[in-house]
Amino acid sequence: MTTMTLLQAINDGLRTEMKNDDRVLVFGEDVGRNGGVFRATEGLQEEFGEERCFDTPLSECGIIGTAIGMAVYGLRPVPEIQFLDFIYPAFDQIVSEAAKMRYRSGGEYTCPMVVRSPYGGGIRGGHYHSQSAEAYFCHTPGLKVVIPSTPADAKGLLISSIRDEDPVLFLEPKRIYRTMKGEVPDGEHVVPLGKGRIVREGRDCTVVAWGAMIETCLKAAEAMEAEGRTIEIVDPRTLVPLDEELILESVKKTGRLVVVHEAPRTGGFGGEIAALAAEKAIAWLEGPVRRVTGFDTPFPYTLEGLYMPDPNRVVRGIQQTFDW
Amino acid sequence: MTERTGIRPEQAMKMLRTMRTIRQLSERIIPLYPKDVMETPVHLCIGQEAVSAGLCIHLRDEDLMVLGHRTHGPALAKGLPLKSLVAELYGRTTGCSHARGGSMHVYDGEHGIPGSSAIVGGNIAVSVGLGLGRKLLGSEGIGVAYFGDGATDAGVFWESLNFAALKEVPVLFLCEDNGLSNVMPKSEHMFADPARIAGEFMPVYRADGTDVLSVYEEAGRAVAQVRESRGPAYLHCTTKRWMQHQGVLEDDLPYNPIDPEKDCPIVRFEEFLLRTRLATPGELAAVGEEIERDLDEAFAFAEASPYPDPEAMEV
Repeated sequence: MTTMTLLQAINDGLRTEMKNDDRVLVFGEDVGRNGGVFRATEGLQEEFGEERCFDTPLSECGIIGTAIGMAVYGLRPVPEIQFLDFIYPAFDQIVSEAAKMRYRSGGEYTCPMVVRSPYGGGIRGGHYHSQSAEAYFCHTPGLKVVIPSTPADAKGLLISSIRDEDPVLFLEPKRIYRTMKGEVPDGEHVVPLGKGRIVREGRDCTVVAWGAMIETCLKAAEAMEAEGRTIEIVDPRTLVPLDEELILESVKKTGRLVVVHEAPRTGGFGGEIAALAAEKAIAWLEGPVRRVTGFDTPFPYTLEGLYMPDPNRVVRGIQQTFDW
Repeated sequence: MTERTGIRPEQAMKMLRTMRTIRQLSERIIPLYPKDVMETPVHLCIGQEAVSAGLCIHLRDEDLMVLGHRTHGPALAKGLPLKSLVAELYGRTTGCSHARGGSMHVYDGEHGIPGSSAIVGGNIAVSVGLGLGRKLLGSEGIGVAYFGDGATDAGVFWESLNFAALKEVPVLFLCEDNGLSNVMPKSEHMFADPARIAGEFMPVYRADGTDVLSVYEEAGRAVAQVRESRGPAYLHCTTKRWMQHQGVLEDDLPYNPIDPEKDCPIVRFEEFLLRTRLATPGELAAVGEEIERDLDEAFAFAEASPYPDPEAMEV
């Protein structure tokens, strides 16, 4: 075990899998010489050479298209999109080519590619360095969507993603890149996709959240203790595939559900989790499902603090499942 | 057609056979298509056969080619078995994509066809990745991006030229320029000559895509360039589309006049074969008859094959 930040754990995960499997390649804008704008790929070019870790033009569509071609014929590309906000030029390649490769070939070809990208607000990045776009990709059959919230999970989920036969969007909560520290197993460490975790046990209300929102929800849960209510926090870790069982089990136990995400409310993945509870746990619900989310506006510039769910908003959301 | 003597008779006959297979398959599809026996939209290749035949004779199974939406010609030329294609058009599980792809999404791992995309230009960057993968994995194969003039409008086309040149990727960019993007003439959808600008990034070759010998020669040079340099090249082939963009009706656009003799790569090539005594009229007729038998077999195979199990929605 080594104590690492979330960022160091991602770097360690990449290094571990590049050592383990020489089909693994890392490339993107500034990832080679510079080691990545957030330093996630630091030292990889020195260690593995320019063939396996290289810089690309500012060309997201080309980067992902190239990665797809590599993936369908024997390599394990891990391209980086510098900020998730920059992924839209590559949206077509991800949605039209990568996601459909297995299906439209009748299972003859798969596309084992991991697109890594920092996402989310909290670094005062403004409109185009802060967005949470996970829902677009969750809505696309054929893709997996993975979001770690701890250093150990970041490493273990990243290694599982690289070993997966299908395309994975690996979204990294950049706000907690350096602030989130924890013990990370050395060497081989695998966290399976599709298995969530109980971050904190509780009896009175289930809160489902991911990425940097876990910390926010933990603070809210502590505040609720003062009111004599214990809150259970579930981190699905992977939105697709979703650990439905874990969420439903928790909701059936507590009878209440709040979903928290940074992304805008309408069409956000919170709606999907609310629907899951409505479809499969309605008889256990004792109050309305609440969503605590970003707003239905572009990500703001100066109002970031108001836009992002904070512990007070989460507390209010939880209270509304009791008082209605 | 210019006189050329360098071509070996067996290569000449192979190209003829490829072109006639593409043509005769199209001619079979035309009367059948309105009967709705096929499950897919079709983009026929009549008039454009020489580009596929003249290129693919230089390619090997280890060369990986990704196609656009007009797949039948290049896929057959690259080696996709006829019955595998026809079964896919019929939406049967014995099809090359197991009834999940259709005309626009054909796959054949054995013959180096890792797919095709109905998104115009969507295949180009994938081909660059295939070429780069060939190089990194130590294969002698190359990537081939097979696209039409409409794809040169797309940003990803230009991104791919840049990427391939910067990273010295062994990939051939093959532009099958039929002068039309659906019904838009090229002059209305592309301001410049993409092949000329591609010359800033890589060696460019140009061929008459209605003359299979012209394509054969220029594609030979372009493929050799990619193989030897382990870097990219661009091959531009002008040709003519006889049918409408999609479906089985003839094109009647006033700005796309077709001369069924002069514009026909098969008529032109057969004249050449007879004139140079590479084939006799009897041999030419025999090729056509043999293909008719192959088609009978392929369509019977497709019709007798099962539809996918409705329970098996997921792959």
